[in-house]
Amino acid sequence: MEKHNSNRISTIILFVLSLPLFILYFFFFLDVFTVPSTDSIWPESFTLVHWRFLTETLSGKPSIWITTLNTLIFSGCVVAIVLVLSSTAGYALSRLKMPYRSQLLGTLLLLHSFPSVSLLIAIFIILQMIGLYDSLVGVIIIKASLELPFGIWIMKGFYDTVPWEIEMSGVQDGASRFTVWYKLILPQIYPGLAALSIFSFISSWGEYVLPFVLAPSAEQQTLSVYLAGLLSETTAVDYGLLKAVGLFYMLPVMIFYIFTHEKLMNIYGGGGGSKG
Amino acid sequence: MKRIPLAYWFLLPAAVSIILFYVLPVILTFVFSFTSMASDTGIYGNHYVYSKNAIRALEKSTLNRDIFKKIIERKYVFDSESLKIISQSKIEKKTQTEIEETLPGTVYSTEKALFEALDKLKNKPRSFRDKKIISRATIRSLNGEEFIEISEMRVAFEKLQIEVGEEDFDLITEVTNTSWHWTTKNYREVFSNPDSWRIFKNTGLYVTLTLGLFNVGCALIIALLTFYMSLGQSKFFRSLWLIPRISPSVLYVLLWRDLMDHSGFISYVMGYFGVAPTNWMGEFPWVTIIVINGFVGASMGMIIFSSAMQAIPKSLLYAASVDGAYMWQQIRRIILPQIRWPILFIASYQTLSLLTSFEYIQLSTDGGPARDTEVWALHAFHTALSNYWGNLRYGFGATLSVVLVVIGIIASITYLKLFKFQVLLQEPPIEN
Repeated sequence: MEKHNSNRISTIILFVLSLPLFILYFFFFLDVFTVPSTDSIWPESFTLVHWRFLTETLSGKPSIWITTLNTLIFSGCVVAIVLVLSSTAGYALSRLKMPYRSQLLGTLLLLHSFPSVSLLIAIFIILQMIGLYDSLVGVIIIKASLELPFGIWIMKGFYDTVPWEIEMSGVQDGASRFTVWYKLILPQIYPGLAALSIFSFISSWGEYVLPFVLAPSAEQQTLSVYLAGLLSETTAVDYGLLKAVGLFYMLPVMIFYIFTHEKLMNIYGGGGGSKG
Repeated sequence: MKRIPLAYWFLLPAAVSIILFYVLPVILTFVFSFTSMASDTGIYGNHYVYSKNAIRALEKSTLNRDIFKKIIERKYVFDSESLKIISQSKIEKKTQTEIEETLPGTVYSTEKALFEALDKLKNKPRSFRDKKIISRATIRSLNGEEFIEISEMRVAFEKLQIEVGEEDFDLITEVTNTSWHWTTKNYREVFSNPDSWRIFKNTGLYVTLTLGLFNVGCALIIALLTFYMSLGQSKFFRSLWLIPRISPSVLYVLLWRDLMDHSGFISYVMGYFGVAPTNWMGEFPWVTIIVINGFVGASMGMIIFSSAMQAIPKSLLYAASVDGAYMWQQIRRIILPQIRWPILFIASYQTLSLLTSFEYIQLSTDGGPARDTEVWALHAFHTALSNYWGNLRYGFGATLSVVLVVIGIIASITYLKLFKFQVLLQEPPIEN
C-alpha cells in the first residue's frame, strides 16, 4: 500500500519535473503543421505552408538542398574517418604489443576528458594558415580529429571484450595479424561499430560551433548554421517556418533515436557527452 | 630485415590527426596568447601597408618632406608590368611596338606629362580612350599598397625612383608595418581589465547553479525516482530526458526561444494571472541560460547514477527494507553512500564541460543583455571570433582560452589520478 502510494508520488514529481520537455516538444510538432492563432496558444487550422522552404529558396539564404547535401557530406565524412581510424587505433591499443603503451593510453584518456571547444581560437588560426579556412574539408578534418580520442576509447573497450582465444586460433592457423583482425575480430565488434557510427553521426549532424566559425560562407553552410541564421534575423521570427526547418533537420536523428535509444543510453553514459 | 610492426600502421593515421589537430592547437593556444594577432594585423608576419593611418603617421613623423611627397604622389611608369598590360590591350600594334621600343624606364609625375609624351610618338595613340588605357596601365602609387616583404618595398621604391636613406627607410618600414608582434600585454590586460572579474564571477555563478540544480541535483532526483518505478515507466522518463541531448543545439534553443517569447507558452499561461506578454528570455537571462543548459546536462548524470544504482547489491536493499527502513532512509543510508564516486565523477566532469562550453548561451542570450550573462568561454569567443565592433583580437582571445586550457589540463590529469578508470590493462599475451 505504502509502496504503491510512493510510486504514484514519484511519478507525479517526475512528470512535473519533465513538464517543460513535454511542452517544448509538443509545440514543436504542433506548430509545424498548423496556423498559429493570434489570441490563443491553440492553432487555428492545419497547414503545410511552413514547408515552403523545400520548394522555394528563402531570401538571402542558400538552397535548402545544397545545405542538406553539405550537412550529409560533413557528417558522412566525419563518421567514416572516425570509424576507420578508431577501429584500427583501438585495436592496436587493445591487442598489439608496442612500446609506451600505457603512456599512450594515459594520453588518450587525458584528451578524452579535455574540453576541446577551448581550442577553437587556435584551430581557427591554424586553418587560416594552412589555407583550409572556410572549406568543408577543414571542418571535417577538425571535427573528426576532435572526436577521435572518444572513438578510439570506445572501440578499445569493445575489442577488450573479444575473447583472446579467437585471435589465438587464427594466429595458430597461420593467418597474419592483419587477416585475423579483418576476418575474425572485426565481425565480433559490429555492435561497437554501429554504436560509434550512430554517436558520431548525431554529434556531427548537430554540430554548430565548428561550421559556424570555420566555414561560414553560404556555399559551405550546414543545416545548423542555416537554421541559426534564420533564428538570428532581426525581423519578427516566423516560428512555424523555423520549426519546420528544424523538424526537417532533426528527422534523421529522430529515426536513429527511435530505434537505438537504449544503446545510446549506454554510450552517453560512457562519459562521451561533451556538451554542458 | 626488420618489418615495421602492424601496431604502428594501425596507430599512425589516428596519431597523426590527433597530434596535428588536437595536441598542436593546445600548444599553439599558448604561443598565440603571446602575440598581438588580430584581424587587422592578419595572421602572417611582415605586412607593410600604406594605409590612411600610416600615411598620416608619416606626415607627422620626422621623415624628409620630399620623400613624403614622393610617397603620396601618383606616378606613371613604363615597366615590364605596364608594358604587358598594354600589349594585351586593343591599342594598335604599331603604337604598341613604338612604346615598347622607346618608352621603357621612363617615369612621369602627372597624367598631363604622360599624354604629352604619348603625343610625341610617331604612331601616337589614336583616341583619348587609348591614352586612358595606357594611363591606367602605368599608374603607380604607394598609397594603399601592401607589401609582404621589405625587399618588395625596395623594388617598388626603385621603380618609382624614390631615393631613400637607410634611416628614413627604417622609419617607413616601422610606420607601415601592421604585422603582429610578440607581447605579454595580453596577460596584463586579463588581470587589469575590470571586465575580467565580472565575467569570472558570472562564470562561477553559472557553473555552480547549473551543476547543483540540474547536472547533479536534477539528475540525482530523476535517477532516484525512476529507480523505484516499474521498468516501463523508468525507461520512458529516461528516454524523454535524453531527447534534448540528441537534439541539434540550434533546434533545441529555438524551441526554448519560442516558449519564452511574447507569443509563447509562458506568456500565454501568465496571461491568466494578468501579466502582459513579455519576452521572458530578456527578462530573466540568468534563469534562461541555467535552465537551457540544465535540461541538456541532466541526462548524463541521470544515466550514470541510474546504472550505478542498478549495480548496488540487491541484498543490501532487502536487508534495509526488512529492518523497516522507509524509502527516504534507504536512499540516505544505502544508495547515496554507494554512489558517491559517480556523483563526484559527474560533478567534476561536468564542471569542466560547463566551464568551456558556450554554445547554448551564444544561441539564446548571446551573453546579453548588456553582457550580463557573458561567461569566460563566450567572452573568449566574442573577443577573437565574433563581435560587432569589428576588430577580432585573436591573440587576446587565445590568452583568455589559455585560462580554460590550463584548467582543462589540470582537471583531466586529476581525473586520471582520481578515478583511474580501471584502464591500464594487462599486456597483450600475443607477440606480433
